[in-house]
Amino acid sequence: MTNYTISIFTTNTVGLLNRITIVFTRRRLNIESLTVCETERKGVSRFTIVLKSETREQVEKLVRQIRKIVDVLAVYGYLNEDIVYHETALFKVSTPLGGPQLDIERVNKDFNAWVVHWGADYVIIEKSGTEAEIMEFYHYIKPQGILEFVRSGRISVSKEEKGLVEYLPEEGVWEIA
Amino acid sequence: MAHQKQTAAEVLEEASQRTVTGAHALMLSLLAEGVDTLFGYPGGAIMPTYDALYDYRDVLRHILVRHEQGAGHAAQGYARLQNKAGVALVTSGPGATNLMTPICDALLDSTPMVCIVGQVYNKLLGTDAFQEADVIGMTMPITKWNYQITSADEVPEILAKAFYIAQTGRPGPVVLDFTRTAQMELMTRPFSYQKCETMVSYHPRTVPKDDQIRAAAELINKAKKPYILAGHGILISQAEAELKAFAEKSGIPVATTLLGMSAIDADHPNYVGWLGMHGNYGTNVLTNECDVLIAIGMRFDDRVTGDLSQYARQAKVVHIEIDPAEIDKNVKATAPVVGDAKEALKALLPLIDEKSHPEWRDEFRKYDVIEEEKITRRTLFHDGEHIKMGEAVALLSELTKGEAVTVTDVGQHQMIANRYYRFKKHNSIVTSGGAGTMGFALPAALGAKVGAPDRQVVAIIGDGGFQMTLQELATIWQENLNVKILILNNNFLGMVRQWQQLFFDNRYSFVDIKNPDFVTIAKGFHIEGHTCRERGELRASLEKMLNHDGAYLLEVICEKEENVFPMVPAGQAVDKIRLE
Ligand SMILES: Cc1ncc(C[n+]2csc(CCOP(=O)(O)OP(=O)(O)O)c2C)c(N)n1
Repeated sequence: MTNYTISIFTTNTVGLLNRITIVFTRRRLNIESLTVCETERKGVSRFTIVLKSETREQVEKLVRQIRKIVDVLAVYGYLNEDIVYHETALFKVSTPLGGPQLDIERVNKDFNAWVVHWGADYVIIEKSGTEAEIMEFYHYIKPQGILEFVRSGRISVSKEEKGLVEYLPEEGVWEIA
Repeated sequence: MAHQKQTAAEVLEEASQRTVTGAHALMLSLLAEGVDTLFGYPGGAIMPTYDALYDYRDVLRHILVRHEQGAGHAAQGYARLQNKAGVALVTSGPGATNLMTPICDALLDSTPMVCIVGQVYNKLLGTDAFQEADVIGMTMPITKWNYQITSADEVPEILAKAFYIAQTGRPGPVVLDFTRTAQMELMTRPFSYQKCETMVSYHPRTVPKDDQIRAAAELINKAKKPYILAGHGILISQAEAELKAFAEKSGIPVATTLLGMSAIDADHPNYVGWLGMHGNYGTNVLTNECDVLIAIGMRFDDRVTGDLSQYARQAKVVHIEIDPAEIDKNVKATAPVVGDAKEALKALLPLIDEKSHPEWRDEFRKYDVIEEEKITRRTLFHDGEHIKMGEAVALLSELTKGEAVTVTDVGQHQMIANRYYRFKKHNSIVTSGGAGTMGFALPAALGAKVGAPDRQVVAIIGDGGFQMTLQELATIWQENLNVKILILNNNFLGMVRQWQQLFFDNRYSFVDIKNPDFVTIAKGFHIEGHTCRERGELRASLEKMLNHDGAYLLEVICEKEENVFPMVPAGQAVDKIRLE
């Protein structure tokens, strides 16, 4: 199985997320992660979807089906090496009195992770990076006692020189439903 | 107040000075789109729109069906004959859910349709209000586009988009979920309508790219055994003349898909028959012998390809198709051509060498001889006691000179109808192919008749399917529509029975259907009819039906356990087609 990242640019329309996920569910494809936000262009949303697939062909078909949706402006599919990508995770870690000492220096220096909140007997640590890096930290911190763990969907930008939005139709031609 | 008849243009002109409600804006938008016919059924949430419709009854013909499924299929039949969107108007909740089957059918068979569905007041959305259903959610996977209109001001723009999306590119159904609030409130500006001609997020390519055309032409010119598969796209883009010119110049044999029937004259020398599960013998077998397959406006449905892993593996494929998502979906294209069939054929024609491929075309004839002897002759000329469906259809074809519009339901009779009707006129078939919806034919036929009042429209229906939508006989009568209804009655759910016989060891599980007296039923709807039981009176019965002034139901009692052959068993290779 290979990881593919799909970047979808759409008009900002109610219900579009549903239409897009239907394309996946109908084909029994599992979405690994999903992130949606507005882009640098007003009225244009960007979906970043990660999925695992056996074949590139399957992903190509998927991309064509998504592109077919009215209100989708453009769709791009990438392999990991084509993009810079990132995820963010938050760990709520227990630090009870008399419990094992948290090695803050290691957390900062070796894992590039930061305490963003100090509670009475817990801390919240933020760790950004690739999925693998986050999981590596996860395993390191686990013995300490993870009270809560949450990881965001992937965000990614391509390594191409132009911004993807530049491939979209000109701003003047916009009309937003 | 005296009621004076106005034209659509006058109504529109007058409205441009007024501020109107959303419901009136809808009517005006329909007029601006050139709509003059609606198929519908009223109810609570759509009442403000029906109230507005009352003022437009001179310029908008509303056909009151007897079930919303009927409205949808009628709109489909109308759309196919008119080559533009059919319009269905229904209420919320159950009205909307009754429309699901036609919407799904229209998506699979690329039929342009605009469905306007009532919805509860804005403030009640999401509260499980009376007759509230999540129509947007439900229709998302079965529409080309859908949209919930929640304010009157949106109406003109959204209607313009709806018609544009439904009718361009690969046509399909659009659903507009129209809240009562939006129907009733006043627009905040005078009504004005701008037809949609382009959208930033949707631009179907009609004119194909030059390099794709050149690559396709090169493949075609080098081919020794080229083979054209013509689909529904030919009918949709009205490319029949271009197909004929292309076939004649290139000398390439042409087969059609089920929905592509009537794309070319049945007697044209290049025509070799139809494809797929119950298509002809040679057309299927030779798919696995051609060297270049030229697929035009078709999508390699599994009913056409059988087992994909054994489908035309030897062939290079030119795939001309307006929907880019169909390219490489089922069959890998060597030379894809994305565009409208008519435009593509026009562009290809000058680049194609003049040829005749006599030996290759003779190969089809060899199979024809076998099929003729093993199947056709045994159907049309036999001394068995019972009438075979094929006899009835062949006679119908003869008596109508192949010029009728046949609207078929789903089952054995559907396959037989397309096997034995010799289409001489374009755009003459309306059938449910992709969805295979029983109950389609009767309402679709009434819609087809409204769309083509000057053509003879014959619905060919099984005894099972007829009982799914027979209430539309009332619509036919009320609207005085001259629709001919031919029931081929084998007293079985025949197609399922055939599968049970062939693939489930003769275990006839609930396919034995006890039927009502169809002629008496028709009579109850004020429609004349007759039951034909004997071959001797078949011709006279058909003539009587065709010559009758008005709707007519002819029931033909057919052999009970006749099977449809040839047949490619589901999931098998096309060249494993069975003749018995
Ligand atoms: C709505 C619907 N339900 C069930 C089916 C499955 N089905 C396909 S053909 C068929 C039998 C049709 O029987 P009839 O209308 O008598 O036609 P015949 O095959 O005998 O010509 C059935 C049940 C279907 N296609 N559509």
